[in-house]
Amino acid sequence: MEPTIVIETRSLSKRFGGVVAADNVNFKVPSGEFRCMIGPNGAGKSTLFAMLCGIESADSGRILVFGQDVTRMQAFRRVRLGVGLTFQTNRAFHQLTVRENLTIPQASANLKNKEAGQMRLEFALDAFGLDPDDETKAAELPHNQLHWLEIAMVLVGYPNLILLDEPTAGMAPEETLQTAKVLKHLNSTGLTTVVVEHDMAFVKDVAQTVTVLHQGQIFAEGSLADITAHEDVRRIYLGRA
Amino acid sequence: MDVLPLALSLLYQFMTGAAFFFLAAVGLVIILGMMNIINLAHGELMMIGAYTATITYHAGVPFWLSVILSFFVVAAFGAVLELLIVRRFYGRELGALVVTWGVSLVLGQGTLLFFGPFMPSIKIPGGSFSYGVFSYSAYWLILVLISLLLVLGLWWLYNRTPYGLQAKATMQNAEMAKSLGVRTSRIYTLTFSLGAGLAGLSGALMAPTLTIAPFMGQQFIVPAFITVVVGGTANVIAGAVASSAFLAAVKTPIGMAFGAFSGTVALLLAALIIIRIMPDGISASLQKFFNRRAGRTAQ
Amino acid sequence: MRTIVDLISGGADIGRTRVFWIGFGVIVLLFLLYPTQASAFRVSNVSFYLLNIPLGLGMALLWGYCGVLSFGHVAYFGIAGYIYGIIAGNMSENTLGPLAGVAGGLLASAIVAGIFGYFVFYARVQKWIIPILTLVLTLLLETFLGQTAGYQWRIGSVLLGGYNGMTGIPWFRLGGFVFEGYSFFYLCVVVVLACYFGLRMLVNSNFGQVIVAIREDELRTELLGYDIRARQWVVFVISAMLAGLSGLLYVQWGNYITPSQVGLLQAVLPVIWTAVGGTTSLLAVVISAFALNWVTFTLSSQGNQYAMVIIGALLVVTMLFFPRGIIVMVAEWLGRLIARRAPSSQP
Repeated sequence: MEPTIVIETRSLSKRFGGVVAADNVNFKVPSGEFRCMIGPNGAGKSTLFAMLCGIESADSGRILVFGQDVTRMQAFRRVRLGVGLTFQTNRAFHQLTVRENLTIPQASANLKNKEAGQMRLEFALDAFGLDPDDETKAAELPHNQLHWLEIAMVLVGYPNLILLDEPTAGMAPEETLQTAKVLKHLNSTGLTTVVVEHDMAFVKDVAQTVTVLHQGQIFAEGSLADITAHEDVRRIYLGRA
Repeated sequence: MDVLPLALSLLYQFMTGAAFFFLAAVGLVIILGMMNIINLAHGELMMIGAYTATITYHAGVPFWLSVILSFFVVAAFGAVLELLIVRRFYGRELGALVVTWGVSLVLGQGTLLFFGPFMPSIKIPGGSFSYGVFSYSAYWLILVLISLLLVLGLWWLYNRTPYGLQAKATMQNAEMAKSLGVRTSRIYTLTFSLGAGLAGLSGALMAPTLTIAPFMGQQFIVPAFITVVVGGTANVIAGAVASSAFLAAVKTPIGMAFGAFSGTVALLLAALIIIRIMPDGISASLQKFFNRRAGRTAQ
Repeated sequence: MRTIVDLISGGADIGRTRVFWIGFGVIVLLFLLYPTQASAFRVSNVSFYLLNIPLGLGMALLWGYCGVLSFGHVAYFGIAGYIYGIIAGNMSENTLGPLAGVAGGLLASAIVAGIFGYFVFYARVQKWIIPILTLVLTLLLETFLGQTAGYQWRIGSVLLGGYNGMTGIPWFRLGGFVFEGYSFFYLCVVVVLACYFGLRMLVNSNFGQVIVAIREDELRTELLGYDIRARQWVVFVISAMLAGLSGLLYVQWGNYITPSQVGLLQAVLPVIWTAVGGTTSLLAVVISAFALNWVTFTLSSQGNQYAMVIIGALLVVTMLFFPRGIIVMVAEWLGRLIARRAPSSQP
């Protein structure tokens, strides 16, 4: 049976002045997969991520989410289709309490997915040690919990797809491991997960498929074993191009 | 049908209109481009420039010297303002807007209390001449020339002097500039001072054409703000020039056909439309164009 | 579904303890008893301080809770006032005239704000553009109204009046009952209380929470699935209607309105009330709007020329040294003082 494609781009291109950030990218993630996007700095990961979110508009090409063409769709409408997004620089509401951070996302929750979503949220809160009634200001949380808070926040919307940009940035190895554990479990319940990452230990732990970006193109794609064996991938990382 | 006098009159009105917008806005946009702050006391700085000009002029100083003096007096005042108040609001743009509004109140009302409601006016240099049924002011033509010289001067300042290089670096990325040894706090003070000085200069230059009174700065608020909104900050000088020209092109025909007020309303409508299509102003689109050309030649 | 009690006692504004509400009740009672103790002149003055409060509340809602700064909010004050004058003046024989005027005034404020807000919010402009363009709008309105002298500038039978403004604006009446003098005072008290509690419930509601989230981080809120532009637009229109409400009360108070009501000096006043009170608290702005109106009214009626310099200096001092607002910072200090003296009565 042909797996459903949850998020896909077709011939997606984008330039900034003279720089090609995305060059005819055909990116496809089937339902339930745990995909990691890696690549050296400047490969175009952030631009692709921003275009998938709806923060940046593409020059040409199409983006489809859950089969729907969202290329011209505003960011907030895409989220309402059942997508959760977290950012590289943590954007939980630092001046608000943990409780407020976890209540604000409620009204736009994807209620079609309530049962599964509720279980995922409760699991994440428990595993991350977050109390939904906690009146502590988010800014006072330790760094890793702040990142976990943002992940929990997007789970409040009961998404069917989450896109995370470097969720373990700045975390210690045990915290990275914990994040990996939680995300793996969530993914096993059917939550399609796409993560942009630099931390190869994390990628090794979680990824089913890895997409390597280089100079705005998909350079290689496959399981981690395939990728690491790939001579050209090693070359672009070690720079003998 | 004598089209030539009408055409010349329209051209004159367009050029002087553009010069007016440019002079009204140049000090404001220099500060906005650097610190992303709108100085609501801008009108009052222009007023202080006009006051300095008229006071020194009536004390016997030649007019053009008074004008130059006004630049330096208001520039110094601007430096003080920046050091005491404005610098505490970097990063808090809305707060800067509010506090400078308070400063403008104090300056305007204070001037009224201190100097009374009127100041003696300055006789407008040069005369007027006519062509066909239209009359022209030689002084305004001089102001158009001065505006062009200012544009060139500012271009030279930003592209050929150490200050200009450091200022552009600070505008692009203040943190980076600082780590490369640029004394950014000094650049901010100098820039605010420059913007204030230019406001004072504009006020002094336009003083002979206006009544000199404590609240004379208020008449520049609408034109200066609209010019700056339409121009944007991506490229401060090009934006100011393009914006002034565009707004003059809108105001001249409409003002001629329907009156000055309709002309000003047309400006607000034009501004609303421009920000809808180009949210960061004309200069952002201009800058994109420049970048694309540079990108193409680099390949 | 939260109850009304929850919504009123929520944490989005200062003051939640029983002591606070008792004190609040006492002050309301004092206001209700005021006309029995004071002359008609004094009562009229206090009415003036009260009628400006909805304008301040509108600013506080927009700036404090939504993070949008409008420098030209007095435009809606003026629009509502003038429209009321036009409608009620033309319907002076009709008992429904005043009501139509009120409806028309509020509607006009809402429509102008709606159109203006559409351009400004949906254009995704930089933060400083909104205060600048709103100020330009109100200044243009003042210029326009200022040049409407002469008989040709009339709507129906009502003259716009140019710089001298519109006079002879009819009283607001319900049926045969005219709200003037003491009854107008009570009308103001009721309106202020209704606005305050209504807004307090709004900011404690889910809608209010999302508004605060927008203020904190627009991008994050948008990427949680919220149409932030629509919400900002709604808050802008609500706050414009509050400004309009003050305008409607104003034309009752004096039966006239002039273009200077939408001019530069008037425009700065609600900004000052909100800054001095503190943008994070509706109640603080109620207090500061009342107090500062009292100060400016008293000073200017004494012919004191220093009034505006003092007010301007107050704004500068507040922004420099009391960034969270004088009233809010005093309340915080009081709160700490009380907590230190009676730790056992902490809720």
